[in-house]
Amino acid sequence: MTSVPPLLRLDGIVKSFPGVRALRGVSFDVRPGEVHALLGENGAGKSTLIKVMSGVHRPDEGRVEVDGRPVDFGSPQEAQAAGIAAIYQELLLFPELSVAENVFMGHAPRLSWGGIDWDQTRARTAEILQSLDIHDLDPDTPVGALSVGNRQRVEIAKALSMNARVLIMDEPTAALTEADVERLFGIVRRLRERGVGIIYISHRLVEIFDLADRVTVLRDGEYVGTHEVRDVTEPQLISMMVGRTIDQLYPHRTANPGKVVLEAKSVAYPGTVEEASLTLRAGEIVGLAGLVGSGRSELAQILFGVTPASAGQILVDGQPVTIRSPADAKRLGIAYVPEDRGTQGLIRPMRIRHNVSLAVLKELARFFFIDRGREQELARRDIERFKIRASSMDQVVGKLSGGNQQKVVLAKWLATRPRILILDEPTRGIDVGAKAEIHKIMSELAAQGMAVLMISSELPEVLGMSDRVLVMREGRIVAGFDRAEATQERIAAAMMRSAQQERAA
Amino acid sequence: MAATMALPARASAGSRLRRFLFSQEGILLIAIIVLFVAVGAYNQRFLSANNLSTIFLGNAYIAVAAIGMSMVIVSGNIDVSVGSLIGVLATISGTIAVSGWPLWLAWTLPILAGMAISAVSGWLIAYLRVPSIVVTLGMLSILKGGLISVTAGAWINNLPQGYHLAQLRPLGVPMAVWFMIVLTALAAFWMRYSGFGRSIYAVGGNAEAARLAGIDRARTVFIVFVIHGFFAGIAAVLFATQLSVIQSTVPPNLELTVITASVVGGVSILGGTGTVIGSTLAAILIAAIGSSLVFINVSPYWLRAVQGLLILLTVLADLARRRKRARHR
Amino acid sequence: MASAVAAPGHQDRYAGLKRHEVILLFVLIAAVAVLAFRSEQFLTTGNLLNQGRLLVEVGLMALPMTFIIITGGIDLSVGSIMGLCAILLGVFWQKLGLPLGAAIALALVVGALAGFVNGWFITRVGVPPLIMTLATLALYRGLAEGISQARSVRGYPDWFFGLGQGELWGVPTQLWLLLFFFVISAIVLTYTTFGRSLYAIGNNEVAARFSGIPVDGIKIAIYTMSGLMAGLAAWVFVSRVSTTRSDMGTGLELDVITAVVLGGTSIFGGTGTILGTALGVVLIQLLKNGLALSGVKGDGTIVVIGVILILSILVSDLLRRQRGAEH
Repeated sequence: MTSVPPLLRLDGIVKSFPGVRALRGVSFDVRPGEVHALLGENGAGKSTLIKVMSGVHRPDEGRVEVDGRPVDFGSPQEAQAAGIAAIYQELLLFPELSVAENVFMGHAPRLSWGGIDWDQTRARTAEILQSLDIHDLDPDTPVGALSVGNRQRVEIAKALSMNARVLIMDEPTAALTEADVERLFGIVRRLRERGVGIIYISHRLVEIFDLADRVTVLRDGEYVGTHEVRDVTEPQLISMMVGRTIDQLYPHRTANPGKVVLEAKSVAYPGTVEEASLTLRAGEIVGLAGLVGSGRSELAQILFGVTPASAGQILVDGQPVTIRSPADAKRLGIAYVPEDRGTQGLIRPMRIRHNVSLAVLKELARFFFIDRGREQELARRDIERFKIRASSMDQVVGKLSGGNQQKVVLAKWLATRPRILILDEPTRGIDVGAKAEIHKIMSELAAQGMAVLMISSELPEVLGMSDRVLVMREGRIVAGFDRAEATQERIAAAMMRSAQQERAA
Repeated sequence: MAATMALPARASAGSRLRRFLFSQEGILLIAIIVLFVAVGAYNQRFLSANNLSTIFLGNAYIAVAAIGMSMVIVSGNIDVSVGSLIGVLATISGTIAVSGWPLWLAWTLPILAGMAISAVSGWLIAYLRVPSIVVTLGMLSILKGGLISVTAGAWINNLPQGYHLAQLRPLGVPMAVWFMIVLTALAAFWMRYSGFGRSIYAVGGNAEAARLAGIDRARTVFIVFVIHGFFAGIAAVLFATQLSVIQSTVPPNLELTVITASVVGGVSILGGTGTVIGSTLAAILIAAIGSSLVFINVSPYWLRAVQGLLILLTVLADLARRRKRARHR
Repeated sequence: MASAVAAPGHQDRYAGLKRHEVILLFVLIAAVAVLAFRSEQFLTTGNLLNQGRLLVEVGLMALPMTFIIITGGIDLSVGSIMGLCAILLGVFWQKLGLPLGAAIALALVVGALAGFVNGWFITRVGVPPLIMTLATLALYRGLAEGISQARSVRGYPDWFFGLGQGELWGVPTQLWLLLFFFVISAIVLTYTTFGRSLYAIGNNEVAARFSGIPVDGIKIAIYTMSGLMAGLAAWVFVSRVSTTRSDMGTGLELDVITAVVLGGTSIFGGTGTILGTALGVVLIQLLKNGLALSGVKGDGTIVVIGVILILSILVSDLLRRQRGAEH
């Protein structure tokens, strides 16, 4: 097996972004006719690694080789020319143009006088689709009218039209239906038989055991190891992925749950949340775990009124309520610290003072006029209380570090004096010190009787902070653990639908 | 739908016909036929050779200008200065004609001037990234004000014999109409078969995907504006050579009529889709509506309101279509 | 980071905005000096007051336009709304025989309604502001032409001309009206929750929505205001020129947008002040007047507006990029 030279080899890749070391010496290779799975939690560095392979990013250090020769891709086109194509989660297609045209955009067959040869374009598209055993896709249909599964097939055909020998697939099954997943697997196996090297990124362990020949695990930007899939077991892979040493202490706290303040009964939103029910008590922290795409953030946004529930019921203090907008949620004492700080949480070009007051402008105002004294008072108190490190309350929040930005978002929402606080990935991308501070604040809030729902991808955080842990998968809450019975392995297994693990549990 | 039509359908004749009838072009063609039949039945003079000639000869230049405008809008931009540009170029053409220079210069120099002026707008939009609405609003006022301050609104009389290109009638059809037909066909062909033509759709449809496909957005947008200037130049010559007197002013609201023709012709104002055949048919439809108002005893002063309503309805239909499609995913 | 520490608090925070307005003020002074030098008539009280009279319509519409552009939108239909309201004012009075006061009030209601229609389609249907107001630019002008049949309305009673041609304490009456709305708008934008929300929407609409700010309602409100002010401008205009015609206000959207952008409001949204807009309005009017006095013919002066529009965007974009690079 090792005698076959790899199509693509990466060695000791290091890549940093301002403030983050995304990859710290990662090695990886893919051989012709194999499916090599890339596994890791969110933020483990998988997407950065595939962007290095496909020419979007240049590595700071390390070697990239194609067919044993070193290469240095300056653009995705150069990588494509070397036979490396990537299919990203967000499909990059032209919705108004036809399937054939999308497949051959930029490299369509030409007629002798230089015009685009539509007959050839259409025929070769049909040929590629046939070779993938896709018979129900008309090359003339506009891509905008296709289902997600079909769009993905168009992307695969596009990669093949450029004679790709290495195909990178980033979470290809995340948005697919069961039937589409089956068809995708058929296509992937067909490509493997043809000698294409496939790099397959997925969270779903079942898929990896179904499909992959080898698996490489990344964790926190570091290379953990590469194994033949037949030599490893699910529990081994899970512990490779999440087996981080708990490198920090979580604040010790005795939970003292009060009465139920928030209850969701079978709430749903088309396409993301199927039917989710949960209860939240005053004074407890409930951790909500689940993979990306499991519907965690979407559930939070239903409770907060961003995308109002299409079905089900929400009760606050036992009373049924309708939440149709964030303003409604705010009135009911619900606050939401969103996952995407930059676009949903903060107004980055504005000052700290103006950000922390944004959700309570009405309360700070006298006859529509903002009371600047009270606004400054609020900002001063928040900076002190949350230890926000800034030159002044007039600093533009875009200039703060990630941790301090997160504290500003938290301060903004705590200013509304909520009784229910939903935190979506509250410590993602922030440094250890700020992380500990935010954890401490959470504990204090719970101790004061606030009901806290914390969404997190980091299992040590979930375990360290939560009184109870709920697990979401495919738009449903599929498991619940008390603090005593929750372990990383159990939660991870529930997240990843591991039949084996569920039986064991 | 419009984009589907861009590919010559390969299916059976029956389904090809059905596809055409439900495309924007098909709907427009049916609307034109219905309008001519209905208004003709109401008042026969509407179909007189004289009136038909007025409709087509008098409005062919709008269809020609709408070709370039369609490309601009497909690329995700807009040009509200096209009316002023045509006014300026028509005046240049007339001035050259009466100054005793060869007539072919009066027919060609405005085209070069149009390309040069439009290149300036295109450069600001493509390379300096100033929004097209701002650049062309500014350009509108520069051209309009410049024209008036230079000519003081003086009329150009005594145009020489043989200058009136648009009025020549090879095979009995006015030259302006020949231009409209041939240029529409050429542009439709070019947008369909050239790599560059396709990259206009790509840039307007999904800029990020276009970048990954190796298409240079700025260069594409710049060239689109130069081409747009070319068509505006021809439109100006057709406009000038159909008149007996050139007024040295900007034809009022011409830019709106041209934009309406493009939008109603199925060019999505959100970018990425549309054909020039549709915009030409829409230009004919709008001209026919304008002319028919008189024949059905409605004041022609309602024409602009009808245009505004047409734009609004087409945009709403486009949005509804996109939304329906998004739900289907 | 370092610069923020060095210059804490108040100096730092308005530096960017103040810089623009100060620059504008200097440009204004320089322009006045040059024009005064070139024409004796320019720097006379009579001329300046008369120019003040002429800029009121654009000024009134520029105030809500500043709000709209701060949120990242645009309204191209203001000139057409003004034309429609002017026509309706005349038609309501002369054709329908309403009392003139009622005709004025009704015309203002129509203006507000026209703006509301823009705002409703933009927020509820999701039509981009540029497209929506381009369509209504044609539609409203078309309604004005259709209703009036291009006939003008004259013969208003004398009291009606008080607003457009009269004086109060030696200053053109309509200038007081503009001053009133100028102060109100400046206060609203600077000191109220509404004003703060406009900046929040323009800088990050999603975050504003996530913070419980009623984004759609606010947008509908500002487009409605824009229509209402266009109606008010129509009233002032008809009163000033004594007659009503359907082509009134054609192309005026250009002057309005130019004044706002020249005043430092970013066409991409998020920044801008009413003071800047006021300076922009004044500068444009004085340039027009000065050029006319130095012999540039009539509409030739609009060339300058076009050049200024493009240049001011280029310069502000350059400044923005430079400031961005500092951070």
